Amino acid sequence: MRRRAALAALGALGPWAAARADEPATFNVVLRGGRIEPSRLEVPAGRRIKFVLRNDGPGPVEFENLELRVEKVLAPGSNSFIVVAPLRPGTYRFIDEFHPDTGRLEVVAK
Amino acid sequence: MINAFVVVWRESLEALLVISVLLAWIARQGDPGRLRRGVWAGLGGGVALAAALGAATFAAQSQLQGQALEAFQAGIALASAALVLQMVAWMRRHGAGMKRELEARAASASGATGVALVTAFAVAREGAETVVFLYGIGLERDTQGALALLAGAAAGLAAALLCAWAIARGARRLNMRTLLRTSELLLLAIATAMVGHGVERLIGMGWLPPLADPLWDSATLLDDAGGIGRVLADFAGYRARPTGALVAAYLLFWGVALVALRPRPVRPKQAPAH
Repeated sequence: MRRRAALAALGALGPWAAARADEPATFNVVLRGGRIEPSRLEVPAGRRIKFVLRNDGPGPVEFENLELRVEKVLAPGSNSFIVVAPLRPGTYRFIDEFHPDTGRLEVVAK
Repeated sequence: MINAFVVVWRESLEALLVISVLLAWIARQGDPGRLRRGVWAGLGGGVALAAALGAATFAAQSQLQGQALEAFQAGIALASAALVLQMVAWMRRHGAGMKRELEARAASASGATGVALVTAFAVAREGAETVVFLYGIGLERDTQGALALLAGAAAGLAAALLCAWAIARGARRLNMRTLLRTSELLLLAIATAMVGHGVERLIGMGWLPPLADPLWDSATLLDDAGGIGRVLADFAGYRARPTGALVAAYLLFWGVALVALRPRPVRPKQAPAH
């Protein structure tokens, strides 16, 4: 009886473990002088995406996409990352909120 | 310039909203002096904590340090939500019925600490980004450009203060019951937004599985990226495409809130010993 309960508990944890094992597709993004490099990225749809971010300065930046709830402040010289849930096919626009006129990144999920 | 205005206005408004709701409520209490001092102490502490957080953002260069900072900020968001809930429960217990001076004084001692903590966390959470942004202005702009941006930032803060003042002013016209209900609802809405903020940070770091993503899609009904949907997103945690984990966290929070705030049976009062 107790073993069955333990098995049921393990079964309930199954999907969670599977989700963790699914490694995200990784992309490097560099923010420099108010610009985002690259300015366009093609990423696979339906998979978790990991953006590895680096701010080369000179000032701080905020990597942001409101629709995907990404808001990440980076000091000059710092590294960070953000994991985004699987995207549906389409175009997603990220901006550097501290430099909204020049800092743009178009992410195309296919 | 516009950018600086928007960043500062948006970041200060939520914290100022919390403060003005608390002040409006405090003004009706038996011993407002001590509670009000609690708010100001919290404001001072919050500004200091925001500056420290901003400095930590600049110091955190490596991914590992960045992660620690992220965890801390997620912790602050979730702790704020819990504190606000506790505050609302406290306000309800010590609401309108606090007539006797002694009773009021004893209650306000514990209340002042709660008020100070809620204020400090709200200010620190919102202020840290402003600190980083303002410091960055000095780093990368020439003097003239920096001054223009600082003017925008000052205008943003002034606009947020004006909004908060108008709300606190308007709240004085409400009767006590309406004021209490409105404050509760507004504070709980903001606490829900804080829960969302914390949970989404944890998901973004890959520490919490999103579960179903999205659980539903109501973007055609009410988009959360602009207009009224954006306001609801900022102040009540609305999401057009919420993750399963987020909905679960909201349900947990409101479950706890409903239990904590359930109407208590009125205890028979002991006969006063004359």
